[in-house]
Amino acid sequence: MEVITTAAGADSRGAKSAGAAPFLAAPVPASDEEFAELVDTLVADPNRHDQLTDLLRENHPWYNERGTATVAQMRGWVLLGFARTGVSDHALLFVLEELDTGIDPYLVATAACALRSYAKPNPALAPFVMRALAQNRYRDDPVSFLAYADYSLGPEATSPVRELLLTLAWLGPHARTVLPELEATVKSGGLSKKALVEAHRTLEAIRGSEEEPDCCKLPDGLISKFSWAAKARRSSESIASTVFEDQDGAGITFNEFFQGRPSIVVFFYTRCDNPLKCSLTVTKLARVQKLLESRNLAEQIQTAAITYDPAFDVAERIRRYGEKRSVRMDASHRMLRATNGIDSLRQHFKLGVNFVESLVNRHRLEVYVLDRNGRVAASFERLHWDEQEVVDRAIEVLAERKKPARIATPMMGTLASIAIAFFPKCPVCWAAYLSLLGVTGLIQVPYSPWLQPILAVLMIANIASVWLRGRATGRMIGPYLVTLGALIILASRINSSSLKLAALGIVLTLAGSLLGVFTVQKSSAHLNF
Amino acid sequence: MTTKKRASKKAAKAPKGMSALAALSVATNAKKTTAERVSALAQAPEAVMKSDENLQKLCDVVKNTDEPVEVRLEAINALATAAFAVATFEPYRNDYIATLQEVAVDPNQEIRESALGLLASEKNKFAQKKLLDGLKNPAKALVPPEKALQLLSYDVHTEAYAVARDIISNSPNELAKQEAMRLLAADPNSTKLFEKLLRDKDETREVRQVAASALNSLAPQKLQEHAREMLLDDSEYEDIQATSLSAVKQFGDDEEVAKDKALLKSVNRLSADAKSSKYKKSAKDFLAMVAEKEEK
Repeated sequence: MEVITTAAGADSRGAKSAGAAPFLAAPVPASDEEFAELVDTLVADPNRHDQLTDLLRENHPWYNERGTATVAQMRGWVLLGFARTGVSDHALLFVLEELDTGIDPYLVATAACALRSYAKPNPALAPFVMRALAQNRYRDDPVSFLAYADYSLGPEATSPVRELLLTLAWLGPHARTVLPELEATVKSGGLSKKALVEAHRTLEAIRGSEEEPDCCKLPDGLISKFSWAAKARRSSESIASTVFEDQDGAGITFNEFFQGRPSIVVFFYTRCDNPLKCSLTVTKLARVQKLLESRNLAEQIQTAAITYDPAFDVAERIRRYGEKRSVRMDASHRMLRATNGIDSLRQHFKLGVNFVESLVNRHRLEVYVLDRNGRVAASFERLHWDEQEVVDRAIEVLAERKKPARIATPMMGTLASIAIAFFPKCPVCWAAYLSLLGVTGLIQVPYSPWLQPILAVLMIANIASVWLRGRATGRMIGPYLVTLGALIILASRINSSSLKLAALGIVLTLAGSLLGVFTVQKSSAHLNF
Repeated sequence: MTTKKRASKKAAKAPKGMSALAALSVATNAKKTTAERVSALAQAPEAVMKSDENLQKLCDVVKNTDEPVEVRLEAINALATAAFAVATFEPYRNDYIATLQEVAVDPNQEIRESALGLLASEKNKFAQKKLLDGLKNPAKALVPPEKALQLLSYDVHTEAYAVARDIISNSPNELAKQEAMRLLAADPNSTKLFEKLLRDKDETREVRQVAASALNSLAPQKLQEHAREMLLDDSEYEDIQATSLSAVKQFGDDEEVAKDKALLKSVNRLSADAKSSKYKKSAKDFLAMVAEKEEK
């Protein structure tokens, strides 16, 4: 598949999507009939076919708060729309996605049907169709294309296996690469009588033609992988303070985990009932970790699996999910849930997911490579991704020139507290300090009382940041110490002969700041079940 | 007594040991007695997988509303048994699902329930739609609401949460309310609802038990907090206190419990004053367990 790489500032996915058309700006259809009519309207107007493609994006607002079955119905009807308009290069990715990882009989059948309206058969399409046949042969349920949300089972009823066989027949000689697999399927005796008739016709169509197929290349417009040059990457500032809980119940912010080293990030949720999506994704993540280990990169490139369903996927649940799939879990490799919700992550990563209440109703496969600043450097979307390819991309990101890190250190505030403690009260003391520091030989520095309020503001800022961190992680000892330290320093200013008091204040401030810096384990009373 | 149970009673007296094909022949023979046919159907699944024609014979029995209901129900069971062997049943699945969808709207309720139950276990969208439509509009209901909710709970991805909440607020019957609660036990947004139901002394025991179980799944810490409060509440029912005690015993933090003097005092009172000897024993066992752990 083609990889889009951009050095430009724009998000390449946005620039490439459907002629940059916005989501269909019509009110959400109130009923099934209205939705079907709207799709038919788009199908009938060649100038609006791009909007039809947009309807296949998971995060389209029309899918908000719709159940999974309804979403499947809606998407299937759109795919059938493509069967009438013809599948564009841009829409092809969505059709192939359904064949690659779909297990819903209606969606697989409609995708197979839609593919036959693509401009030209192509050998590169055959593996997708054959894979769908292998994955769905035991779910060959009857489906109807007659009308929207129709379940009639008359002679016009079809099925995913039937539609896939028809599509292989359409591919004809272009499906020769999968001929052995199809022959084996037919010989296995697993197909129904009706499907066998269709299968023999398909075999003839593939074997029969003398035409030599073109080489296996997918169209240029098919993009499932994206790569961004450093200058084009979106800042992760908007989610810097997003707080996660990992599989052990430890709290950590986005910046604390993702800053400093490149990361490979996958998304999943434990209630996903498609084994070809989340379960396989997390299993493959474990394989990615093994690849990193084999190249001694497991400490230089970290990995994370983030759940789409943070309210349900509590720490214990995600830990067991990862354990069952042999995922390595330690300080550099974590299963995460966002404790303050998924919305900010959804916006930042432009996640391909939608929800009915808190439950996922549909999502795509998505894997991201983040750079050492937590910015998205690459993404692999919709189609099965190759573990080695993802690792290779992460290694490229690792090799990128390190930028000087802007380390926001809470110690600056601590230094301000120290400076406050010892700030001279008068010009004489000021001179005494300067002589102590050996600077009286230089141009005399005038007494600068204006510095004191600035130092005070810095000290307050330090206290505030430690409090925020403490509230986020649930560990309040840091904020208490810093506050007590600041109060003691202020008290020492009042009592002029209280150097010991000032020193105590400084020690407490320093201790509190240090405790606020490090992530601590939150004690958890989660049950084992 | 349901038709199924009557059929089983009758079948127990019929002869056994015939071949699968012979059994199928008896099962599909309208001239045989219901009892003979029901008994034969128990041995028919193997025959189904030998040919399309065999499958069709059984499907025809299922779809034929003139056939005795007991026979039709056993025929559905035979098909379901055969379908369990997924790989071998592959050629027949399409017709099997089509048959079930057809009889999901059968005039007979037991047939409908049986078919919808099997379809729902396959997460069949047709069945889910029918069940949801029935809950939203009782005139379209194919099965009782509690049954519909139970079947919809097989798939967390159905759009059933909203209708389940409506049923809890305006429940047609107690069973429906409990099934709605069980369905919502997978919904993290329902935690507060379960807390409210758990603490409402006007609710039935069963409702409060289901609420406790759901809370244990969704927010175990909340359950611990409520269990403790209910143990401290002298006006709380003894059996509810006993359940709370079990929750604290099995899932509570041993160290915290040992330090909780107020809790231990309440349990002590339960061990002395409970009207039921069973609850007294539970309380005493709990105290003994705490003491033993403290010694260690």
